[in-house]
Amino acid sequence: MSAKDEDRLSPADSRSPQDRPGPANQDRLNAEDAPGKTPPRRVRVTAPRSQASRAPSGYPVAREVAEQSEVGQVFVRSLIRSQLRLAVVVAVGFLLILLAFPLLLAWVPGIDRAALLGVPFTWLLLGVGVYPLIGLSAWLYVRTASRNEARYLDLVEDE
Amino acid sequence: MNAGVGYAALIGVFAVTAVIGFFGLRISRTTEDFYVASRTVRPWWNASAIGGEYLSAASFLGVAGLILISGSDALWFPIGYTAGYLMLLLFVAAPLRRSGAYTVPDFTEARLESVTARRVTSVLVVMVGWFYIVPQLHGAALTMSIATGLPSWVGAVAVAVVVCVTVVTGGMRSITFVQAFQFWLKLTAIALPIVFILIVMGNTGLSVPAVAEPFAADPVASPAGAYRNISLVIALLFGTLGLPHVLVRFYTNPDGPSARRTTLIVLGLLSVFYLFPTLYGVLGRAFTPDIATGGTPDALVLLLPGRLIPGLAGDVLTALVIAGAFAAFLSTTSGLVVSVAGVISQDVLGGRVRGFRLAAVFSTLVPLVVALLTESMQLAGSVGLVFAFTASTICPLLLLGIWWRGLTDAGAIAGMLAGAALCGGSILLGRALGPGAGPMADFLAQPAAWSVPAAFAVMIGVSLLTRNRRPAGITKIMTRLHAPERPQAAPTR
Repeated sequence: MSAKDEDRLSPADSRSPQDRPGPANQDRLNAEDAPGKTPPRRVRVTAPRSQASRAPSGYPVAREVAEQSEVGQVFVRSLIRSQLRLAVVVAVGFLLILLAFPLLLAWVPGIDRAALLGVPFTWLLLGVGVYPLIGLSAWLYVRTASRNEARYLDLVEDE
Repeated sequence: MNAGVGYAALIGVFAVTAVIGFFGLRISRTTEDFYVASRTVRPWWNASAIGGEYLSAASFLGVAGLILISGSDALWFPIGYTAGYLMLLLFVAAPLRRSGAYTVPDFTEARLESVTARRVTSVLVVMVGWFYIVPQLHGAALTMSIATGLPSWVGAVAVAVVVCVTVVTGGMRSITFVQAFQFWLKLTAIALPIVFILIVMGNTGLSVPAVAEPFAADPVASPAGAYRNISLVIALLFGTLGLPHVLVRFYTNPDGPSARRTTLIVLGLLSVFYLFPTLYGVLGRAFTPDIATGGTPDALVLLLPGRLIPGLAGDVLTALVIAGAFAAFLSTTSGLVVSVAGVISQDVLGGRVRGFRLAAVFSTLVPLVVALLTESMQLAGSVGLVFAFTASTICPLLLLGIWWRGLTDAGAIAGMLAGAALCGGSILLGRALGPGAGPMADFLAQPAAWSVPAAFAVMIGVSLLTRNRRPAGITKIMTRLHAPERPQAAPTR
């Protein structure tokens, strides 16, 4: 839109107030420009909460278009697949180790009597040992998931 | 126990909660402020708040009590509570934040484009919330009667009133600050006394002799015991990622990566916290096994410091533990009230701030009445049943909704209803039959091991049969859920 066009458009142009960032300001300007008219009533513009902010602000239109294209969808699908594979691998790995604990305790003879500083091995393993394992799994996952996303962004932005 | 100490602790916690809630009130203005703290909460704050909300009566009192009575088997409870967050991180955290929905029903509607599916989810979320509030109020009743000698209903009513006032006046923003504060209060309250006791033990030896061997060998694990443990761990692992008050917290992260970072911090905080209930349980087994035989093992954390440390020091430590316990009831209950009220106000009352306030009052009153009418059972056990219920209903919905394009509204509804009926029905049946259930008792009392796979199977099966009902915008929705939002996201910060 040229500067001339801008001048020609009055503040109360054909666009509805909802399309403008500040409907209240526009109404005030409108009233000042045309003192004979009664100022339009203030309208509260609301949206259902469930619709709010579904598009994160700052989401580039170009990227949205790229993602809807056929090639873009291939990238999205492969991102989803790699994230799911990662999550399943970490979860299954963690659960297998967790499952190994009771089996270890049940099958290795004498381990139920083994103790460190008077605390039996069972208690150490279940009461303390599991937590570093959880933390490690989580950290590995976050690192790899962020890498997957960075790789996806490289691909989409190259498009 | 000295009643003055109890009163001082209670008044202290209530006053601080009210003050922080009040200051939150001064900065919360819009509807977004009320529901999701305008999504401006930083990961550390948010993680502390999640920890504050999550560590309920079951964690603060129940775990130690359970270790006192059932020994190393009970160690699976804190493992499950913590590992549930790992599952949440792996499968739900970032996509859920990116969905942009405020509540689980919002997510359902956005993903399945179906209002009926939304309504079913709403009903389930409200049920889960109420089931979970009831044990909190039971815990409050127990703690109040131990701390002050007042009749136990006073505790439940006091917690309900304080929660109601905080939520109605401040909404989510002040709740975030209150929760974050309460996490650190809980951690201090449970850690300081036990550290003090250990130091005293190390230096001088205790005047109280150990009366039992704390690690006494447990009876050889029976198949039934193994089934119970496995079923419990499944319930806790998959129940956590369906808890509405935990999920609502993820909407307060600015974006997907920060949702992940928050969860990582939460895992660290929980891992540190759960070392302490275990210590209480072990010391309780050694020095005060009579608390278990006395019928209130859940009171172990409250009674242990006073029993082991005589005099003023013991009183101060007891006051601290009581304050921590009430922080646990308050924070979990208010988190649940916020999420239940969010759902009710939006689905029934039009989503305005006024409706939210009304709904908050209503959603505190219903569980209060239930809590006053029912008998308290083992805290950790009753919370475990709520986890089994969410694992059989909301968990399959979220997992399949996020990762599988094929989920349809019909499939989701059928799966959730099947899960709810199987899990709820089995718990009720087990309760009704009592000891008459015989060998089936464990399968009925801990249904998660079969009801969760059943719910998944129904959801997948019905979705496959109703392929034509897949939402039209599925491509766009899946992109929104999984595509990272920042063009140049730094890999890890």
